[in-house]
Amino acid sequence: MRLTLPVLIAHGRYGRRMGLGPESRINMLRNILTGLVRHERIETTWARADEVRIYAEKVSDMLISFTRPLFSCFSLVQEKDLVHKLFKVLVPRLGSEQRGYTRLFQIPNRDSLDRAKMAVLELRGNPFPPLVTRQPDSDGSLLNQLLRGYREEATRSRAAGGD
Amino acid sequence: MSATGLLDVFRRSFFHLESRILQAIGFNNHAVVPALSVQGPGIFPQLHRNEETEEHSLLDNIFWMAAPKKRRTIEVNRCRRRNPQKLIEIKTNIEPCSGCGNLKQKHVLCGFCYEKVRRETAIIRGQIQAQEGKPLNNPAVETVVLYEGEKPADTDAGKRIVERKRQRPSWFTQY
Repeated sequence: MRLTLPVLIAHGRYGRRMGLGPESRINMLRNILTGLVRHERIETTWARADEVRIYAEKVSDMLISFTRPLFSCFSLVQEKDLVHKLFKVLVPRLGSEQRGYTRLFQIPNRDSLDRAKMAVLELRGNPFPPLVTRQPDSDGSLLNQLLRGYREEATRSRAAGGD
Repeated sequence: MSATGLLDVFRRSFFHLESRILQAIGFNNHAVVPALSVQGPGIFPQLHRNEETEEHSLLDNIFWMAAPKKRRTIEVNRCRRRNPQKLIEIKTNIEPCSGCGNLKQKHVLCGFCYEKVRRETAIIRGQIQAQEGKPLNNPAVETVVLYEGEKPADTDAGKRIVERKRQRPSWFTQY
């Protein structure tokens, strides 16, 4: 593990406190993970998404590296149809990934009174529209070049007029 | 607060102060022996009190509480109220979104662009739900979204197709 500042400050502590206790935390994270496997893109509070990411990556790693089905995945994803989806769809899709299996983005704070810090967590290769698109550099467009020329000329004439 | 009560307070504080001064000197006469006994009422009138000691100790200690000595001038007040620690910090991480031009924070997705994507995703999910029919009926196949006039490619062979009756939006590129 990289020795980053948050890691050093934590003094070996790992995993946030959530909900009504450790059992409640595990149940909550299991529900969120089930939702992620079903819908492939979910919106929750940033802290929960960050915690679920750890478990999502661990489960994907476990399933991808072993060829025979692991029964521990039943405790994590409790719906029958999702277990089939995990092995037949997600493992082949994510197996070829060299980087992480999930993506986490922060979105603007929730609209309700708590203004909670929200995030959207998605699995790679999902069928939905992408959250981040690379905008083509519009500096080379004709209009922008003309405007740039006009701006430079204006500053030049102002400098010359000032002198 | 009655006059007798106040007098009692003064009496007790005086004796307390006296004993402390004697202690400081070193005259620790713990055995209280009267130096002079006088019949009849003493120098100060003795009054019978049945109250709790808590209230008495507060009234006794009232002479040793912290209080401001001088009025804080407006100059001093201004220095305290306006120092940078108390002012609101200026944010330097706000920039315009390259897609729509609305303002966004650097580490956060643009609200406008995300809202567009969220609505489209919700509509697609509604279609998926209609296709599945009942809950917990997720098929173990990939999904692909096709817009008007699009045909499934060769790579979309065994996938579940979700149809959308509109033109493909510019921000949803087909890989």
